Amino acid sequence: MKNTKFMEIGSGKGYYGLLALLGVVILAGLSAFFYMEHTGHWVTGMDNQIVWGAPHVFAIFLIVAASGALNVASIGTVFGKKIYQPLGRMSALLAIALLIGGLTVLVLDLGRPDRLIVAMTYYNFKSIFAWNIILYNGFLALVAVYIWTMLDPTVKKFYKLAGFAAFVWRLILTTGTGSIFGWLVARQAYDAAIFAPMFIVMSFSFGLAVFMLVMMATYSWTNRPLGDAVVRRLKNLLGVFVAGVLFFVMVYHLTNLYATEHHGVQAFILRDGGVFTQAFWIGQILLGSLLPLALLYHPATGNSRFWIGIASALIILGGFAQLTVILIGGQAYPLVLFPGYEVSSSFADGAINSYSPSLPELVLGFSGIAIAMAMMVVGMRVLRMAPASLADEVADPHHGK
Amino acid sequence: MKRLLQLLSMAVLALTLSAPALAGEGGRTPLPSIPAAKGDQCVEDTAVMRRDHMKFLKHHRDATMHQGIRTEKYSLKACLECHAPVEGNMAAGGKEAEGHFCVNCHVYAGVTLDCFECHATKPETTAQFHPLVSPASAALKATDRTDSTVLLNRLVGVSENKAGVAHE
Amino acid sequence: MSDHKQPDLARREFLGRGAAAAGVALAPGVMLYGVADAKPADEPVSSKVRWGMLVDTSKCSSGCNACVDACNKEHGLGNETHSRDTQRTQYIRKVELRHKFTGATHSLPVMCQHCETPPCVDVCPTGASFKRADGIVLVDRHICIGCRYCMMACPYKARSFVHEALTEQRPHTPRGKGCVESCTMCVHRVDEGRQPACVEACAADGSHAIIFGDLNDPNSEIAQRVKTYASSEIRADLGLNTGVRYQGL
Repeated sequence: MKNTKFMEIGSGKGYYGLLALLGVVILAGLSAFFYMEHTGHWVTGMDNQIVWGAPHVFAIFLIVAASGALNVASIGTVFGKKIYQPLGRMSALLAIALLIGGLTVLVLDLGRPDRLIVAMTYYNFKSIFAWNIILYNGFLALVAVYIWTMLDPTVKKFYKLAGFAAFVWRLILTTGTGSIFGWLVARQAYDAAIFAPMFIVMSFSFGLAVFMLVMMATYSWTNRPLGDAVVRRLKNLLGVFVAGVLFFVMVYHLTNLYATEHHGVQAFILRDGGVFTQAFWIGQILLGSLLPLALLYHPATGNSRFWIGIASALIILGGFAQLTVILIGGQAYPLVLFPGYEVSSSFADGAINSYSPSLPELVLGFSGIAIAMAMMVVGMRVLRMAPASLADEVADPHHGK
Repeated sequence: MKRLLQLLSMAVLALTLSAPALAGEGGRTPLPSIPAAKGDQCVEDTAVMRRDHMKFLKHHRDATMHQGIRTEKYSLKACLECHAPVEGNMAAGGKEAEGHFCVNCHVYAGVTLDCFECHATKPETTAQFHPLVSPASAALKATDRTDSTVLLNRLVGVSENKAGVAHE
Repeated sequence: MSDHKQPDLARREFLGRGAAAAGVALAPGVMLYGVADAKPADEPVSSKVRWGMLVDTSKCSSGCNACVDACNKEHGLGNETHSRDTQRTQYIRKVELRHKFTGATHSLPVMCQHCETPPCVDVCPTGASFKRADGIVLVDRHICIGCRYCMMACPYKARSFVHEALTEQRPHTPRGKGCVESCTMCVHRVDEGRQPACVEACAADGSHAIIFGDLNDPNSEIAQRVKTYASSEIRADLGLNTGVRYQGL
């Protein structure tokens, strides 16, 4: 087996320019946080009916993608696939970066973020949310150890164990994230066991899409060679994951359509929901799943880095659309307290709730992405995370056979 | 360069040594202005209160919230009975009358105080304290002498300090 | 003058003494009855008691908001200055129903149902949402971090979030920015042996649509009513065994 040479990315105008740009977005996000925390949430689009909004869409996307970004490393370590192994360090670093970005947005949106230490010390173990807090922190620790086993030759013998532990942990973590919705009996759109496995497959898809973009951008901007073999393997895998997500979404909706009880919410999401219906069909299904599948597998576009990049970006946008439909669409549809009755009250009973994100929320969300990207950039500069070359001669185990 | 450093260090030394004189009150460090409280004596010694008041408050709040224990001794509402910033009190109008008892000291000590984001800063006279409206659980049952006697005395318009001596 | 009959002082005295004796005999009983309702201040609540409310929807009229107004006044709600209508707190609301097929209409108040197995308590990450031993579900706003997960989880949409800094709180209902809150069944009144404000207002109004009492006490009015006449829970299929029950639905 050839030894891969890892090298820090160089610094220069591009590096500092990129960090400056990300820094501006991060600063804007911090100001948005100070503004929201100081004045109160009345400045946001969230209210007593739509309690989780744009910040949570961003946060949950980043957290789900974080778990999926570790996939590349896991396939290399746990399943022994050689072509993935040089990518392991970048994959693990991206996982940590995305998770921290997502958690930052989540925590900064709390009503009382000054009480975060309370959340870290008082645990209600019946709450899946409390378990998620433990799982997220454990993930950070485990992946850090995993990276350590990859970097430090003296602990290399624990590489497989760390990789296996991180792999299992992230499956439990994503199950927990999906169960945040799946375990809620209250709302028509939730209360479904399928949320846990659906979120796992979503994490595969989003995480790999983000990884593809980061990898292609890194190698392009640092002028390092990136061979077709690596890109082709990854994009084929990405297509499989996108199809997987489509499958779970279809099963979820078909099941709900079969039960008369759920016809109301299904009609809302699939037909009558206005912006949510558009987000579902155009955002999630067409642009986020079907078009990328075509781009990734069609011979005319499947070998072009440009179109693969477009497909990855569309998958990410589709992910945001999907989370908007799940998170906000699920809250827009009213709770059914009195089946069979038309209901009205002064507290929006029986009414479809509307939501439009405010600027501070969106800025906070984007700053989460910026934090993740900044961590990635700095991490690759300071540590030897990126292989010096991923050209076919170096990376492809079948090259020349 | 060396000369400049010497001058600078002398200036810093001079300022530090004269700081107490620059501060008010005859060379002592500035003190917070604490508004005087009503009544003669707190539920505990001043020294004990200064050190442990948050311990009492936190323990009592958990007991009240989770177990419904509503004795008066360490209850925040009862504290505010004496330490309330009622407008127009202390007709003397001196500096002692200004501000809020808790806030003044906490600002001085630089310790965050967020109790009053939720808790009312002033007591409210309501029928709740009247023993005949509230079925006298406190007044008639001698479980906590402070409660019952205080309530009964309030009924007859007499206030009483902690030593049990009644005065108008 | 001497013919003028002297009023029978002896009879008056007898009547007066008799009345006084009756008063003295009865008064402790009356006052003790009141005292028996309230637990002593230093005693913790116990699960021997389960507080509940019963709403008779046939006595609840469509235009009446007495319970809502009383609750708002009791807890100092409605003092938000910046929040939109959908961001303001409501502990209790009147809901108007019309059956889609039969056309039957009902009006009823909906508030926190004080479930026996509350989903909000299950999901709270810090344990701030909790159920007291006597069945009242509360938010401990000292540990609430404002994550709003309980608002997602509540099947009755009973919880509200405070979206702005508040002042002029009632001393018995501390509430502030960034925490979640909901109907407390007027726990401050209940602990003193009084009734929730909504129940009192409904009675004062003459409707008597809501009654309050100890569901575990077989002699209480509420326990006897729910034993005799059919009553139901909202979303009974969730199996939460709510403390608030409804008749006439």
